[in-house]
Amino acid sequence: MSEKPLLRLEAIDKSFPGVHALDHVDFDLYKGETHILLGENGAGKSTLVKILSGSLPKDSGRIILRGKQVEITSPYHARSLGIGMVYQELSLIPSLSVAENIFLGRLPKSRFFFVDWPGIYKKAQQILKRLNLNIDPTVPVRHLSLAEQQLVEIAKVLSLNEQILLFDEPTSALSEEERQQLFNLVNELRERGISIIYISHHLSEVPLVGQRVTVLRDGKKIATLPVNEADEDTIIRMMVGRELKEQFPKEETSPGKPILKVQGLEIKGALNHVDFTLHEGEIVGIFGLLGAGCTTLVRALFGLEKIDSGKIYINGRRVTISSPEKAIGLGLGYLTRDRKDGLIHPMSVVSNITLASLKGISQLGLLKHRKERQVGEKYVNELRIHPPDLTRKLMYLSGGNQQKVALSKWLCSGSKILIFDEPTRGIDVGTKAEIFQLFNQLTKEGVGILMISSELPEILAMADRIFAMRRGTVTAEYRRGETTQEKLLKSVS
Amino acid sequence: MGEQRKKLSTTKNNPKSTIPSRVPSVASLMSQWISMGGEVIRKNLLKGGPIIALLFLIIYLAFASPYFFNLSNFLNITRQSSINAILAIGQTMVIIGAGIDLSVGAVLALSASMSAVAVSYWGLNLAVGILLGLGTGALTGFITGVIITKGRIPDFVATLAMMTTARGLALILTQGLPVPSHFTALKLVGYLPAGLIWLGSGNVLGVPVPAIVIVVITILGWMVMTRTTLGRAIYAVGGNREAARISGISYVRTKIITYTIMGLLAGVAGIVLTGRLNSANALMGEGAELQSIAAVVIGGTNLFGGEGGVVGSLIGAFIMGILGNGLNLLNVSAFWQRVILGLIIIGVVIFDQWRRRRFAV
Repeated sequence: MSEKPLLRLEAIDKSFPGVHALDHVDFDLYKGETHILLGENGAGKSTLVKILSGSLPKDSGRIILRGKQVEITSPYHARSLGIGMVYQELSLIPSLSVAENIFLGRLPKSRFFFVDWPGIYKKAQQILKRLNLNIDPTVPVRHLSLAEQQLVEIAKVLSLNEQILLFDEPTSALSEEERQQLFNLVNELRERGISIIYISHHLSEVPLVGQRVTVLRDGKKIATLPVNEADEDTIIRMMVGRELKEQFPKEETSPGKPILKVQGLEIKGALNHVDFTLHEGEIVGIFGLLGAGCTTLVRALFGLEKIDSGKIYINGRRVTISSPEKAIGLGLGYLTRDRKDGLIHPMSVVSNITLASLKGISQLGLLKHRKERQVGEKYVNELRIHPPDLTRKLMYLSGGNQQKVALSKWLCSGSKILIFDEPTRGIDVGTKAEIFQLFNQLTKEGVGILMISSELPEILAMADRIFAMRRGTVTAEYRRGETTQEKLLKSVS
Repeated sequence: MGEQRKKLSTTKNNPKSTIPSRVPSVASLMSQWISMGGEVIRKNLLKGGPIIALLFLIIYLAFASPYFFNLSNFLNITRQSSINAILAIGQTMVIIGAGIDLSVGAVLALSASMSAVAVSYWGLNLAVGILLGLGTGALTGFITGVIITKGRIPDFVATLAMMTTARGLALILTQGLPVPSHFTALKLVGYLPAGLIWLGSGNVLGVPVPAIVIVVITILGWMVMTRTTLGRAIYAVGGNREAARISGISYVRTKIITYTIMGLLAGVAGIVLTGRLNSANALMGEGAELQSIAAVVIGGTNLFGGEGGVVGSLIGAFIMGILGNGLNLLNVSAFWQRVILGLIIIGVVIFDQWRRRRFAV
């Protein structure tokens, strides 16, 4: 590894509106190594590999590949330079067969123009065999499990014979066994001289696949170190390492009676006997990695997932929640993880804010426009939604402001139980503090808040109690102040 | 351009509004009105691609043909556009809800046949006959809505199926002959009553009855879409079905109500058309579905749902009506008229797309 690096990134810089995603990051990759990228959510890992794979342009900096400076202009261009990307979000076409997906866009042709089907199936079979996968290449992708789809995704990239492979959290959808299979594969590829950049949230994976580790935090590179110096404690300290000031203005409240109680909640393959209670005026945090079941749990509470067994009590009364409509009727509100799922883009800001409280601003089905406008103005001012134009269509707002609208919707719905899945996603620090102030106000009024967050400092500071989840099970419960970032991370990974 | 004007008007206003006087001067009030008017005009011009097209069309035809610009011709156009306008109002609601209704022409024929058969063969009185026709339309729409939501079938497919089903039922009901007719196996009890014909061809104080019907339906449609929770639900479901669901809006209920309204309006159109033609038959309104969709598209409603409005569609229907009328007056052949209509649809939509991107409205 003493020779020149295969790939070198110098001072890569990238900004999105309101976020400095990458701040002059240097990075290098040698032939035949696996270089692991670590960092909290939003640290810039995905942005970095997206720049490398050509799906995002960089603002400035240099990419030097095999000693020559290159400008990567598109995913197709990246591919022609020998850089292949395994996407975090699956990029397969469900209705096409496994083989077609693997060779998408470059189906081999036989002598006369027609697609050489036997040839494709045979080649696909070979690639799958190399991965030790027992998947029929003629089957449409939609019949495969999520994990199998993820593996086909990997097969697709492998078939390109690339020299550099980028993996963005490849194991989040895989079972233990499949993960092991993937590690073997990654190591085998590396021995064949392929270089790999590997993003992961699972710290336990680091020594299994990597040679070197680079930690990013808030868009800056913190350090690059060989894997034998990168013990878990060191890495975690590097990853989180920020001081907590008054970013989180948590006010103590005394929780009242239980308003939401969950007993033995089970969903096959996703949730395993989950118990918890939420009290009036309490913030309960749920922390887990991708695929731990946190989102499934709250979706189930909101009537979006079918529950196999278990009981839910609201204010001591047993309830069955079969639809969001029913959940809202019972006093629940749910801010989705992906804000696309919660907002109506072609609708105005004010209509989005009042969408879940139409009953409150109407009489016999007739809307009271003046009242609606007052409600809208209140939230636009309180959360400083910018631009402060109620009639502007939501799609013309920036991401952070869209998130504020999504929050406003539930704040104004008068729900007694609020479920927030990553409530501060894409929101800048100043506004975050304001939102937490609103949380305080809500809890004082007796609202119970269930908050999923992958931002450790946020959850540690704001939640009265924290549940750690792993693979659909609650693995630990802490009171506020009882745990540290390190302990919490350990109990979920 | 718009931004500049906004800036201009605010700079004009500011010094005036800082005058420490509780009674605003006449000048400041006037400048305020002017700037407010400017704002209103600006917003509406930006919104009103279709209305600009309509005005241009009228101005052009007024100069091009001596027979065009007079009241009796306008009343004539209104009568001719009325069927398409009524259907287009309903189609707008369906399309804003991210659906499409291909069955409207057939449902129109079925409803019209039902009313006509009821009064001429079954001897029912006029009111019952009309209610039966409207009820048939509404019921058909309701069934379409149920099939789409409960059967989880795409709107396009369900309404395509309903299109041929309703047409078939109309043929069965009328035995393939115009109603009333002497040649059916059914006994002819009476011709269409004068009241029914009045609905299509009558006047109230010189205003054609169909014109009044359009005005009433447009106002009701506009009220529903802008002033009711139902309208809000339709926009929400059409804009993002999943987000609407999570906000507690029932997709099933919204869809079914929308299609029921559409069916009811197809019934209204059927009865007006029967009155105008003095007869009903099972093949009425063929192609009406595409005409109504064209009016909606010309009117600026997004074919993928979530945005648009009924007033635009009314204008769209009138653009189509005036175009047909004007081109007739100019002796343009009916064949070329179709070509021109096609070009206009494309032109209007291209302009609309550009306007949305350019002004972010």
